[in-house]
Amino acid sequence: MFSLHLSPEQLEIRDTVRDFVGREIKPVALASARLEAFERPLLTVQLEAASRLGLRTLGLSEDAGGAGADALTCAIVTEELAAGDPDIAAVLGHTAGLARSLERATTPAQRERFLAPFARDDAFHLALADAEAARDGADWLLQGACAAVANAPLAKLFMVRTRAGTLLVPRGTAGVAVREQPGDWYHGSCGELAFSNCRVPAANLAGEVTKAATLLPALSLGIGRAAYEAALEYARLRVQGGKPIIEHQAIAAKLAGIALRLETARAAVWRAAWASDHPEAVADRSLPELPLESIAEAYAPEAMLAAAKDAAECFGAMGVMRDMPLHKYIRDARICLHSGEGSGAAKLNLAVAITG
Amino acid sequence: MDFELSDEQREWQMKARKFAQEEIRPISLQRDAIEDPAKTWDWDIIRKGSKLGFRTMAVPKEWGGEGTGFVTQALVMAELAKADSAISKSFSQCWKWSHLIAQSCTEDQKRRFLKPFLDDDTFVLGKGISEYDAGSDNRLPPDDPRAGLKLRAERRGDEWILNGSKAYIANGNIGKLFFIDARTNPGVPLRQGITMFLVPRDTPGFRSGKVFNKSGWRFYQNGEMIFENARVPHANVVGEVNGATKKSGGGGGDTTGGDLFGDLELAANALGICDDACESALAHARATTPDGKALFEQQLVQLKLNRMHALTEALRSFVLRVAWEHDRRIHSPNPGLAMNFSTDVVQEVTELYMDLRSGAGGEMDAHADKLVRDSFIWSHLAGDTVQRLKVARRLGR
Repeated sequence: MFSLHLSPEQLEIRDTVRDFVGREIKPVALASARLEAFERPLLTVQLEAASRLGLRTLGLSEDAGGAGADALTCAIVTEELAAGDPDIAAVLGHTAGLARSLERATTPAQRERFLAPFARDDAFHLALADAEAARDGADWLLQGACAAVANAPLAKLFMVRTRAGTLLVPRGTAGVAVREQPGDWYHGSCGELAFSNCRVPAANLAGEVTKAATLLPALSLGIGRAAYEAALEYARLRVQGGKPIIEHQAIAAKLAGIALRLETARAAVWRAAWASDHPEAVADRSLPELPLESIAEAYAPEAMLAAAKDAAECFGAMGVMRDMPLHKYIRDARICLHSGEGSGAAKLNLAVAITG
Repeated sequence: MDFELSDEQREWQMKARKFAQEEIRPISLQRDAIEDPAKTWDWDIIRKGSKLGFRTMAVPKEWGGEGTGFVTQALVMAELAKADSAISKSFSQCWKWSHLIAQSCTEDQKRRFLKPFLDDDTFVLGKGISEYDAGSDNRLPPDDPRAGLKLRAERRGDEWILNGSKAYIANGNIGKLFFIDARTNPGVPLRQGITMFLVPRDTPGFRSGKVFNKSGWRFYQNGEMIFENARVPHANVVGEVNGATKKSGGGGGDTTGGDLFGDLELAANALGICDDACESALAHARATTPDGKALFEQQLVQLKLNRMHALTEALRSFVLRVAWEHDRRIHSPNPGLAMNFSTDVVQEVTELYMDLRSGAGGEMDAHADKLVRDSFIWSHLAGDTVQRLKVARRLGR
């Protein structure tokens, strides 16, 4: 059965988040002074407000204190948040996705120790890293550095993938050093983790933890949509050539081109997210045996950058002014494209999958 | 056909290359990284460049300038832009309007304005057309008299009284002399009702407003200009009253001014950015060895380098052909087409360069970031739909 219906719960979450972003995030995130400044520190007050709304624990089961949201719902929420502020969207998207995976990878005792405090604390975030682990008696010893770890500076629990499995390492454990990533070419929060003789008890060994599959393309989708909505609104208001510019064929076609990219990108993101919720759809031949998240990742960030540039062009000179949001949408879209796992890597993934 | 440059052209090119690489390049990223948009300008580099002739090189020899031709100017712009696009534009902006002085000003005006311009290393020029509510309407004006710029000029005796404001004006806060387009007859379509005035900085009733904070071309200053009963002598009218577009556009109806020069200017500047991107990309691909092998060995990297160079060389051919046609006063839609084309080229080339520089998660090379931001300026100056439609109309004439 082919159906693109969202459930009443999904529709409600989307409306709730959209409303929250419009009221609480956009007025702060898009204020001229913040747009103009070279440094834009994370909006922690709004991040916590979004946590209180339940967006941090979205993917946990209801038993564990979450909303039991599936991957598609998480992707929808990421788009909505990113339309207001990609940094908040990235932090929450990483944490919510990792929490969802963690719940499935842990024993009841581990859930009690790690997930229960996570669910209670609005400022509790998660990060996923890689390191070498060696057995030392009943414990594991972690070694090695891991660069560009999303959420590292904020996380209260590090999930460290090793050959043995995923080790759960609370922040503050001896032998873990965190360094914030210099520069600002990332969304959310990013840093380097270094492990040096970091001792972790065997009781902290969990199963495989993975990050949200469609986070990056869903993030870019929100950025592209924000640019589109800004251009659409402006094109109706701005009069040149004797009429609102939206009535000129050239601008209307440009807006249509943006809409085309947005809808195509969203279709790719939703399909990948839905597929991760329904692995049986590959087995029954409803979906192709391809890395659908790589398809979304290869298409969306590139298309959204083109969309943001076209949207900015509708604003004329204002499209390059730092007190307006358009330059930020372009930059944010570029970050998605070039943040290390951008479309180049995704295309290669797809190439590998095809060629076997 | 002859693709060879003359000795004089080659000499200017080499002089520009030396100045660009030794003086401009070292300050390029530094000026770009200054957060306050009003503080990015550097008089020192302008003074140094001016002493070498880069501020005044378009002024005819009989008036004491260098009298260079368009091919030379294109070569110099590209060389300067290869080190910093915005600084190149800061010099060529002066050529743009010295072309206009030479072409359209009376002997008296030339004496009053060209002389001080030549004598003062910090004398830079600007032209005020755009206003908040009039951008595209000045480029492609509809017949409705309400469309287009609104700054009003009314005659009172031997003076004109100017009221209104301009926005996004290049050198608006630092220039010493401006060409200001103002409405002298608001009841007729734009092109029949505007007059161009020479407005020196110390004109009573004129002041600078804010400096715009741009994402790219940060060195190059765009400002607000405010006129409150500003008094300009009638002797400062350029050409005829209600004849501004005739003068600035050489009859072509081009209200963006600069006549032959403006389109070539943006295309030649873009070429310099592309040269920088190509050279930097190649150097990076050779020097970077992820997994022990040069980046250059990857097929996808080679394909990107191929594309970057193909586009850049195509643009070079187009730019030099347009400059050559200008030197022979051959009129065609080519300058406009080259300008439009340069938008597509400079953006694709710099984005490919950025692509090559990315890879390490969470970091981006500051140089690639700057080139991409600078190139986006072309979207509204050279490659927006109105600039393309304008050239298309010319093709259809």
